[in-house]
Order: sequence, then C-alpha cells, then structure tokens
Amino acid sequence: MSLYQWLLFFHVTGAFFLIGGIVIAGILNVAAIVKNRRPSEVAALYGLIRFAVPLIGAGLVLTLAIGLWLVHNAGYGYGETWIVAAIVLWVVASALGNIDGKYQRQTGELAQRLAVEGDGPSPELRARLRNPQALAISYGSGLMAFAVLGLMIWKPGV
Amino acid sequence: MLALVRPDSWNLPLFLHVLGATLTFGATATVALLGFAGLRGDPDRAVWLRGLAFWVGFGVLVPAFIMMRGAALSIVDKEYPGGHHEPGWVGVGFIVTEPGALLVIVMVILAWLARSPKSRSAVAVPWLASILLVGLAVAWFAMSAKPGS
Repeated sequence: MSLYQWLLFFHVTGAFFLIGGIVIAGILNVAAIVKNRRPSEVAALYGLIRFAVPLIGAGLVLTLAIGLWLVHNAGYGYGETWIVAAIVLWVVASALGNIDGKYQRQTGELAQRLAVEGDGPSPELRARLRNPQALAISYGSGLMAFAVLGLMIWKPGV
Repeated sequence: MLALVRPDSWNLPLFLHVLGATLTFGATATVALLGFAGLRGDPDRAVWLRGLAFWVGFGVLVPAFIMMRGAALSIVDKEYPGGHHEPGWVGVGFIVTEPGALLVIVMVILAWLARSPKSRSAVAVPWLASILLVGLAVAWFAMSAKPGS
C-alpha cells in the first residue's frame, strides 16, 4: 500500500473515532435528559460518557494531523476553500466541545453528589441537564463535526 | 484525488454511506457500553441499562445500519453497474455487512429479551456488539485504504 492509502486509512479512522465518540456522548446525554431521571441514573449515564472522551480526543488529533499531511501528500493547497473551511470548523467545534466537556463533567459530579445525598429529584440537576445554552453548545459542536464530514465529501471549490 | 474524478451525483450517497457507517460505529459502541454496564451492580439499575441498550440498538443502530448499507448499494450500482470488475475491497464491505446485518438482528432480539431480570441473553449482547465493532473496523480499513487497488 502507498503512503497515501495509509494516510487516508488513519484519517478516516480519526473521523470514525471523533464522530463515533460524539454519537456515544450524544445518545447517553439524550437518555439522561428525556425523562426526569433520578440523580443516580444520570450519574450512571454520565459515568459511561467518560469512555467517549478519549475516543473524541484521539479522533480530533488524527483528523487534523493526518488531514494536514494528506493535503500535502495528495497535492491540494492549504489555502483551498474546503480545507480552510474544514480547519475553521474543526477549531470552533473543538473549542465548543471543550466548554461542553467541562460543563458536562460538573453536571456528572453534581449528579453523583445528589445520588449519595438521598437520590431525590433535583430542580438544580434538571435545570443543568436542560440548559438551552449548554445544549446549543453541545449539539452545535457535534453538528460542526458532521459539517466537516460533508466538506470532505463534496470538496466545494475543487 | 478521487474527488477530481468522482461525479457530483455520487457525493450524496457517499456522504450518507460514511455518515451511516460512523453512526453505526457510535451506536454499536453505545450498545456495548450499556450492555456491559447492565451486567453488574444493582439488579434494577442493570435491567434499566439493558433496556436502554435495546432502545439504542432498535432506534439508532438499525436505521444507521440500513442507511450505511443502502447508500453503499447505491454507490456500487453507479460505480460498478451489474457488479462488473468490482475490486476486492468492495467485496470486503459485503463480507462484513451481510453477516453484520444478521448479527444486528440477533443482537436487538437478545437485547429485547435481556430487559427481563431473569434473562440469560444479557451476557451475549455486549459481546455481539464488540464483534460487530471489530467487523466495522475491518470494513473501514478496506473502504478507506482500498488495499490492492
């Protein structure tokens, strides 16, 4: 196999890790907010979300690093519209994902604390889970990753 | 490079194929996580987690798998009409997804049965999901690197 084929494989692997991780976190997050769950249930779901974090991290590194190498290897220009747009979306999605990650970690810690303190319904936890601003940041970040996937397929401007 | 020679009309099915594949990967991993978590701890909690595994399998994995496979068939029909001169890496996709479809059906049925506290099928669900994950990794290697081409 050529270097190009190996690079493409690792780049696609990064995309699978990144989007797969986003899907895992998204499904478990939706499962936590669709019903008024007990804090211990929310804590259990957020405990599973932590398995998606290294997947997303590895995906972010592989998609960008191998992607930039691929641009050079395949003879594209770093200033091409679809490549610049993909990098901008990658940076914004990563920044939003970072903000979301910290918020979700705090929510998970709150759920764990409430579970130990009687596991009763908590308006504070429910408000954090359904915070519209936090949800917009979370799902906006995920949608940007899907938009980058679209750019990789359509390559506008090529 | 491929984009330079790929007709625009192939982009949508290719996007849906890759999107379906990544959703399939994420949903399968979620079923595995919920399935393994549903094997231990408090019995009520375990049954609840296994119920979630069923709903993720039925509500996310099955549609994602259909999207991936349907879009793949559409691309193959456009690129290799009548199945002529199909390269080996295309065959790998079929080798993985045909038994994979059976695996998904069996897994979802077992996940449905595993919603009962006394079910013995609960153990099989996360392991079947793990096997499917390995198969998906083989397929994405073949689809992306296209060895032999």
